[in-house]
Amino acid sequence: MRYCSHCKVRIRGNKEFCPLCGNSLPAGDGSAQKEVYPEIPPFYERHVAVRIMAFISIAAVVTSFAVYMIFPASVNWPLLVVFGILSMWLSLVVVIRKRHNMPKTIMWQVTVASALSVFWDWETGWKGWSREYFIPIACVTAMLVMYVTAKIMKLSVRDYIAYALLNGLFGIVPILFILLDWIEVYHASIVCIALSIIFISAIFIFQGENIKEELNKRMHI
Amino acid sequence: MKQRKKVEWTRLDNASKYFAAVSNFKDTKVFRLACELYEDVDPEALQKALDLTLESFPLYRSVLRRGIFWYYLEASDIKPTVEIESLPVCAPIYYKDRRNLLFRVFYYNSRINLEVFHALSDGTGALWFLKTLVHHYLVLKHKEELGGRIPELNYIAPISKKMDDSFRRYYTGGKIFKQHARNDDVKKESAAYRIRGTRTEDSRMRLIEGSMSAKAVLGQAHAYDTTLTVYIASLFIYSIYKEMPARAKNFPIILSIPINLRQFFESATARNFFSTMNVSYRFEKGEAGLGDIIQKVRETFQRELTEEMLNKQLNHFMSLEKNPLARVVPLPLKDYSIRLVDKLNDRKITAALSNIGRITMPEEFDGYIRQFSVCTSARRPQICMCTYGDRLVISFTSPFRETDIQSTFFKYLSQSNIDIEISSNF
Repeated sequence: MRYCSHCKVRIRGNKEFCPLCGNSLPAGDGSAQKEVYPEIPPFYERHVAVRIMAFISIAAVVTSFAVYMIFPASVNWPLLVVFGILSMWLSLVVVIRKRHNMPKTIMWQVTVASALSVFWDWETGWKGWSREYFIPIACVTAMLVMYVTAKIMKLSVRDYIAYALLNGLFGIVPILFILLDWIEVYHASIVCIALSIIFISAIFIFQGENIKEELNKRMHI
Repeated sequence: MKQRKKVEWTRLDNASKYFAAVSNFKDTKVFRLACELYEDVDPEALQKALDLTLESFPLYRSVLRRGIFWYYLEASDIKPTVEIESLPVCAPIYYKDRRNLLFRVFYYNSRINLEVFHALSDGTGALWFLKTLVHHYLVLKHKEELGGRIPELNYIAPISKKMDDSFRRYYTGGKIFKQHARNDDVKKESAAYRIRGTRTEDSRMRLIEGSMSAKAVLGQAHAYDTTLTVYIASLFIYSIYKEMPARAKNFPIILSIPINLRQFFESATARNFFSTMNVSYRFEKGEAGLGDIIQKVRETFQRELTEEMLNKQLNHFMSLEKNPLARVVPLPLKDYSIRLVDKLNDRKITAALSNIGRITMPEEFDGYIRQFSVCTSARRPQICMCTYGDRLVISFTSPFRETDIQSTFFKYLSQSNIDIEISSNF
């Protein structure tokens, strides 16, 4: 065992320097000792892909503004580039943060995408496509995707049932659009509402107990 | 898919709620208990021992999940595997939205490590797990040598007792909260001296462990007519003082010391059941000796370690949890407020010391176990200590590169003729 004559302590392992005072240690009796702790290489979270994307985003924004200033156009299209890139980042962040829980990711994606569609619709002249088509179609797609993922990933019922219910409830929202007379084209919304009601009733009929237990657990105060 | 299995879940205990909210990558709220043997660890036997141990600690199969209002522990069927040590000491265990167990078992050469996320259990609870694990391991490995003398497990409380939320059991009600609030103005703690340093590059813990004769150190403590914990706490304060910059010397040094409540309230829970007390020392003009510090620390211990004081604190923390208004606040908001309060409280603490105490194993195992040790993730230099037989192991963990306090501390002991064996992870 090595000995630090400054600290007057014996030191285990094959250290070259005293961990206490930092002085170099004499070789001792030369016999190699078993290390007490393994050497673990420094760990940095390197997201090279994220860095490249961040770089491309900034480059794209700067370039489009530069081009717009040299060749002015009637539409302020670089602003749309900025919003486009922000939208992409927003959904990317959601996917990355929630990636360990698929049903949750799906639910979040629908919410974020719906909000973004309303924003884009408004930004591009408020033609109403977000409420008439996008939100209903997104809800129906999410329901299908959630069901298929649950089957493929062999999730147990209680892992996704709460999100499925939430998804179903979200799918009923377009009923407001109809009642408040916000839309002119009804068919997508009607399909979405009908499917959601069927979906929810299926959940309650076949998984009623699971839903009750799941809600008890998640909502306990 | 069509299983109608009942969903098993448990509320978190009072302390776990705090740990779940404040853990992050810099302070992971993970602690490690280790048992060093005289022989190299056999991973296969260790895996078998772990499977056996898990049968008597069902709570260790839980994953931590987020509800709308509170976190909760949900039973899982994940099978833990023993692995060779491959992460820094007390690396993060709990990740939001990820379903994994709240403990890990590592081995390295002759050492078995159990790392536990603090929301699952405290040191005493986890120690029972480790003792059971080592017990099963040694019995599996040395059945022949032990012959017919296979010792009894010395921790065999019924499973319901191990799962008990003792905070809840000993909570008497809201009245004491008001009393506590009224008494509170008696001592408003001021800001404490805070140790600064350069963080390690990936915020990993630097661990320095000193192993020495318990008898020799206890002899020194007795010379000052005091206990081991008081002596080590005082020496820690003394070492911090010696390394303090001159302009910081009007701030008091305040140690936070966890207290195992199982000594005061009957409980065999393997979950959290502890309280903390603060020991404060303000240096007056002129040099203070170790003797003066010991005197003051001993007085604080006598004042704080009474059933009445502990009861008051338990009820205070429980009443926060029971507050109807606090209960209906959504979890993310709760998390932010707990973190904020924690940051403010943190200003009143210089460092922490925790003594797991004397660890006993059946004497048949004496020839196989070299020593036990304990350490934890920390925001600043922190001492954890435990004793097995005559081996007292004092472990410093710190996120800083500087080791001056540790050096002063161990040098003081070595200069009083105590033989110290140092090991470190850097």
